[in-house]
Amino acid sequence: MSRSGAWRRVAAAVLAVACVAGPARAGAATDADDAALSLADLQPDEVAQASDWRRFIEAGLGASAVRGQAAMQDSRRLSLDLRYEHALAPGLRVSLADRLDLGQPAPGGREHAVNTLKEAYVSGQLAADAMADLGRINVRNGVATGYNPTDYFREGAVRAPISINPASLRENRQGSIMLRAQRLWDGGSLTALYAPGLASRPNPEGLALDVGATNARHRALLALSQRIGGLTPQFLVQQEEARATRFGFNLTGLLNDATVAYLEWSGGRSPTQLADALEAVMPPCDCSTWRNRVAAGLGYTTSDKLSLTLEFQHNGAGLDGGGWSALRQGPVALYGQYRQAVRVSQEMPTRRALFTQALWQDALMPRLDLGLMHNLDLVDRSRRLWAEARYHVDSMEYALQWVLHEGEAGSVYGAVPEARGWQVLARYYF
Amino acid sequence: MKMMMPLRPLTRLLVLALALALLALPGLAAPSPQDILVASDAVRNPDFPFGLTNTLVEYRQGRQTESSTLAIYSKADPAGGQFRSLVRYTAPARDANKLILFNGKDLWFYDPSSKASIRLSPQQRLLGQASNGDVVTVNFARDYQAVAAVEEDTQDGDRQTRRCHRLSLSAANPDATYHRIDMWVDVANARPVKARFYSESGKLLKTAYYRRYQPIFGVQRPTEMVIIDGLESDWVTVMRYSDWTRREVPEAWLQRDYLPRFKPE
Repeated sequence: MSRSGAWRRVAAAVLAVACVAGPARAGAATDADDAALSLADLQPDEVAQASDWRRFIEAGLGASAVRGQAAMQDSRRLSLDLRYEHALAPGLRVSLADRLDLGQPAPGGREHAVNTLKEAYVSGQLAADAMADLGRINVRNGVATGYNPTDYFREGAVRAPISINPASLRENRQGSIMLRAQRLWDGGSLTALYAPGLASRPNPEGLALDVGATNARHRALLALSQRIGGLTPQFLVQQEEARATRFGFNLTGLLNDATVAYLEWSGGRSPTQLADALEAVMPPCDCSTWRNRVAAGLGYTTSDKLSLTLEFQHNGAGLDGGGWSALRQGPVALYGQYRQAVRVSQEMPTRRALFTQALWQDALMPRLDLGLMHNLDLVDRSRRLWAEARYHVDSMEYALQWVLHEGEAGSVYGAVPEARGWQVLARYYF
Repeated sequence: MKMMMPLRPLTRLLVLALALALLALPGLAAPSPQDILVASDAVRNPDFPFGLTNTLVEYRQGRQTESSTLAIYSKADPAGGQFRSLVRYTAPARDANKLILFNGKDLWFYDPSSKASIRLSPQQRLLGQASNGDVVTVNFARDYQAVAAVEEDTQDGDRQTRRCHRLSLSAANPDATYHRIDMWVDVANARPVKARFYSESGKLLKTAYYRRYQPIFGVQRPTEMVIIDGLESDWVTVMRYSDWTRREVPEAWLQRDYLPRFKPE
């Protein structure tokens, strides 16, 4: 037993005894104070140094009840996730992020090994208030939690969906190749970027760079933030090849010390989502008009580290009750094509949905985080429930996830093959 | 070079009287509780933008349960005087490179993995023993009014008895994190010795000891804070400050859109 280890045990014993003692008067140092200070006396002087790397390996094991199958379907997954950031010279930095998923069944539906080059770019700081980046960059706009209408670069970005958690879908996706410039000033900023169209279609090969998935069309974006009073709204203008200009808006505000309200909006002229998805097989429709997409929500945090989020989601280009019902009762091929297009674009299939989320940090015991998510489609009333318990200790993280998809046949969640399932994960940072 | 003109006798007399009056003034008027608080802030915080490393180690029931290392840049707001801070996690690996912006009630969290900027509420700043609110630099005199000062002996972080002013602070503006604070400040040199933080209901939230005084930028400043939870007294966090450096922090950096780019040197 080391000397410091022995002293720590002694200090722990003192502390345990001290905890039994009652509170003392306000100014006096209590026995508990003395025990705490003794503990601090023993702490070695060690300062962790910053590393260019952030790496973890994650193993997953699960089982799902698949609709139409009597037996549970097992799944196994091994993932390697790397992030590297290095300063080449003052003001010049290179960033790299990559993920390899090996899975059974195949993570992307085709190959068992899927690599996602999430980011690879160089950044130059031209001045204290001016920067430029070049390469594959994962750009994400939006302040909402479950649905982001202004996240214009999410289309085609997820190669291997390993979790339905919105945070995971954002984390495990590839960026777009682009040139980006940013100018900052006191209380505001302007970002301009251009992402060229470099390949016409995605490449499903597991180890492909898959340029076509996220650089299929020329795109440009302007984003302006400006503090106005106590608020800092963000305004966006997005232009995409062969599509009308889209406008976006993000705003957050405090309702009180525990509640954050947020609003995310995107609008522009477009045909219906259905016409877009079926343009290859259906005659062009004369249905282009102004359509809005909105996510508005409230986030409330209790003093017990419980965060609750309620979010209303509206997709003006999605199908309303009549259209959705007609599509579900129509040809299966058209229905399948629509669902596939919606999955790739990460859009809502129908017009309205409600998202609720509860996250409880250090729940019941330190280092245990609990999460609960509920997606309710307000058009067909189908729903998804997702729960997670995550525990971390030192370099390890363990998680147990459970998911349930409920609804009528062909509904948003009733059509998901996995009716319910669970997964155990172990992650090691090295 | 211009020669000094000799002062006339009456003028000389007036200058002397004024100088004596100025010297005598501190003796005549004892410093107000707020003056003591301002002096104590000046001991803890440099009056220019700076960077430092904050190492936090958390103990529960005598055992180390968590540790993290943060790189922090701080700069006082020229308007209100309160510090704004950019924070980047260095360790543990699980949190490495996550970022937080503290700018009054404008709190943002950024995760480079998900690229998500998340607005935090002031309540989230309070969560955790030292998780958010205490890691950043605070000028208490900007957010609190010291309403009383009583001289008394108290035990400091080295278990020595010190003659201190016990200041009673009450929140003076909506940005204040705590409703009420009792703070002990050394009578001899205005060094903060310890503080007790209370909720609106009068509940003791935490006790903090300021210790390990070292010369930083020419002034003896505390380089360690020992925080003891008010409810669970066996929940202890030790924060140590190192690598103090004078840093330029442009105003343009203190906003959400710069956060993803913040990389301490």
